[in-house]
Amino acid sequence: MDELFTKNPITKSEAIEDQGISLKVIGIGGAGTNMVDRIKLDNLADLHLAVVNTDRKTLAVSPVQERLMIGRKLTRGLSAGGETEIGRMAAEESRDELARMVTGVDLVFLLVGLGGGTGSGAAPVLAQVAREKGAMVITFATLPFHGEGSRRQEQAKDALCALRDVCHAVITLPNDVLIREIGENDTLMEALSKADGWISKGVSSIWSMLFAQGLINVDFGALKNAFHITGGKTLYGLGYGEGYNAVENALKSLDQCPLLHLPENYASQKADVLILNVTGGTDLGMSQVNRILDAVSEKFSSKENTILSAAQDASMTRVIYITVIGVSDLNGNGPARIRKHTPAAVPVIHTEQAEKELRKARKPQRVDQEEFAFPSDRDNRGLFEDTEPNVYDGEDLDIPTFLRRSLKITS
Amino acid sequence: MSQKKIIGAVEIGTSKVVVLVGEILGRNSLNIIGMAQTTSMGVKKGEVTNLKSASDSTHTAIVAAEKSAGVSIDSIYLSCSGRHLDGFSTTGKVAVSSSDNVINRADLQRVGEMARTKALPLQRVYIHHILGGYKVDGQPTKNPLGMAGEQLEVQYWNVNADQRKISDQLHIINGFGIKVDDMIISSIASGCVAASEEERDKGVLVIDIGCGTTDFAVYKDGIILRTGVIGVGGDHITNDLAIGLRINYKNAESIKHRFGKAIVDSSDKNDTVLLFGDLTIGDAPISRSSIYKITHARVEELFNIIHNKLGSLISTQNLPGGIIITGGSARLPHLCEAARQAFNVNARVAQNPAWVTNPELKAPEYSTVIGLLQYAMTAQRPDSGGRKKKNTGWFGKMAGIFAGN
Repeated sequence: MDELFTKNPITKSEAIEDQGISLKVIGIGGAGTNMVDRIKLDNLADLHLAVVNTDRKTLAVSPVQERLMIGRKLTRGLSAGGETEIGRMAAEESRDELARMVTGVDLVFLLVGLGGGTGSGAAPVLAQVAREKGAMVITFATLPFHGEGSRRQEQAKDALCALRDVCHAVITLPNDVLIREIGENDTLMEALSKADGWISKGVSSIWSMLFAQGLINVDFGALKNAFHITGGKTLYGLGYGEGYNAVENALKSLDQCPLLHLPENYASQKADVLILNVTGGTDLGMSQVNRILDAVSEKFSSKENTILSAAQDASMTRVIYITVIGVSDLNGNGPARIRKHTPAAVPVIHTEQAEKELRKARKPQRVDQEEFAFPSDRDNRGLFEDTEPNVYDGEDLDIPTFLRRSLKITS
Repeated sequence: MSQKKIIGAVEIGTSKVVVLVGEILGRNSLNIIGMAQTTSMGVKKGEVTNLKSASDSTHTAIVAAEKSAGVSIDSIYLSCSGRHLDGFSTTGKVAVSSSDNVINRADLQRVGEMARTKALPLQRVYIHHILGGYKVDGQPTKNPLGMAGEQLEVQYWNVNADQRKISDQLHIINGFGIKVDDMIISSIASGCVAASEEERDKGVLVIDIGCGTTDFAVYKDGIILRTGVIGVGGDHITNDLAIGLRINYKNAESIKHRFGKAIVDSSDKNDTVLLFGDLTIGDAPISRSSIYKITHARVEELFNIIHNKLGSLISTQNLPGGIIITGGSARLPHLCEAARQAFNVNARVAQNPAWVTNPELKAPEYSTVIGLLQYAMTAQRPDSGGRKKKNTGWFGKMAGIFAGN
């Protein structure tokens, strides 16, 4: 379905291209590289693709044009071996090359699988370099399976905290949740491509907001404005509907999107700024878009804070895709929440006065973020709100089991 | 000689307060002559959270029970539950004192004291010392008195509780001018009703899933090996449903009663049920599979926690009597099947004993309070010398609590 956004090159607006907005998808680490490789097959024509890795072998087989091997001296083309620290040092070593890679890019999509070495260690560095070069950074990060062991989980958590500190938006995709969407008889390739679908849908919907000719477009400035905060929590959900009741079906499917039912989102699905992208067939009309806007903004945000974009795709009829990306501001009205994990140290910044100032300016913000960014599980205790926590084996048993296990419930 | 004694049994549960009035005639005859029940207020997860409302509902129930029996109750057996209950095992070991190596009463007393006198942390009190059997020179035996041997060993399972929570409960009864004869943990009370003597001999696990807590006890060779409480009960299923289906608590409770099921089967995957079922405003379809998934997740987790806590005690060899499930939540359909899946041991829902003639009391949620009466009857037997001693011990402890206050 992802090529839907791109199939029709005629709809591409020349005027916008003249502004010279440059988008780049960068996959970092083993998992990230693979994701970019597979997205390339999805034929997203106007995106520049790049991959970064410490592992020579993986890079060699990648079909992507722009390939960068980092940490040449450190690992000699071998992988980081699952060590976050080595991944980070490799990125530090190749900082200049990374900077060259992101120079002149306005919007960087960073794809990374957290939990390993290169991805977890180098991604925060790359994100920071990209920011310094003035790019907007949106990261899609997969989180390791629960069964992969606590070490990988810890590494992923630390890396996620570091990423949230430097990126404009971090969209997390827990593998545990993605795998649930997969049928019993799917092959590994099918399973992987379904997981990648989540990412390519996100990338392509932002792409189509900016480039595709549609009913309502969003310019880059507005997008950048929406994502002006770092470290907040990012909501991400997709809905798809077809038939005569396409709007209702799409809304229902959005409601059931497993990524909106992660435990950390459960307490509040409200976002301070919401980006809503509606793509439909030639029969998509304003009334349908309005209905979706009403329903979605009521659920996630208020209308004033919703950035709406709508596009038509001439190749389909009676089909609607909805993408929502929500960002929570620091000044949100949500209750004060306690951050659970201490963030990993933000990668060390070298010299340059400007960077130091940038950091300083961000510091007071971050204090507030810690109050807000991680909703506590206590919000899900319902009836047992005012009783003592019922802790067994590190879990509060008063919180519904299905939430703690991220089971998908359709109502 | 037939001596008549009136005994009250009170369970201050999470959903309801039940009071039974029993008449004990002679040694083995027990009649239930009065009962009353009120909706419990101020109790969550088996613990008193609001003393005033819990007192009020208990007093109402006691008054109503006295009225229905036409007698006044002067002493009460009280059940107790809650996550604050804890247990540990102790052993005592002595050399047999007499020269001919025959074990006498003094030896038993010495070894018992040794095992029972372990000091507790501050604010904790013992509720029960459950005798887990003797060993004479390493050979297990039930009654070593008069046996010959050099070394006598005894094992106890010691149940202890948070002193403040226990005194809260006692205050409720004492505040009404009635004395508490003994306090029995719910798992033991329901265990002695739900499982027959034969089953307790063979080995059985009794799980009492109430509204706010789940109490369990493992029996083997007629003695209690292990007890435990988990602060999860039927309320949690309701709460899970309310959050998961985004409906209010009252509707969630009704959905649980009408459609709850402890296992998920794929047959009714796309089926939906109606929230109210009468098509009034606000009635909405709810997918059956969601209800089952939420319920199953909770039940499965609960059984897994019990399994973890009991470890190797759970096996077909150790539990030929299987698993008996009782308590209000035992009404949840297919619960036994879920238990079989989790424990790999046969499971059934408890039935209250035949001597309970009142049809209302046949329901599994009354097994604790019936167990209290049954326990009271055995405690009243004049020949149970050990029991009497324990009662005084109990009063001694409680006097200590109040002196401490």
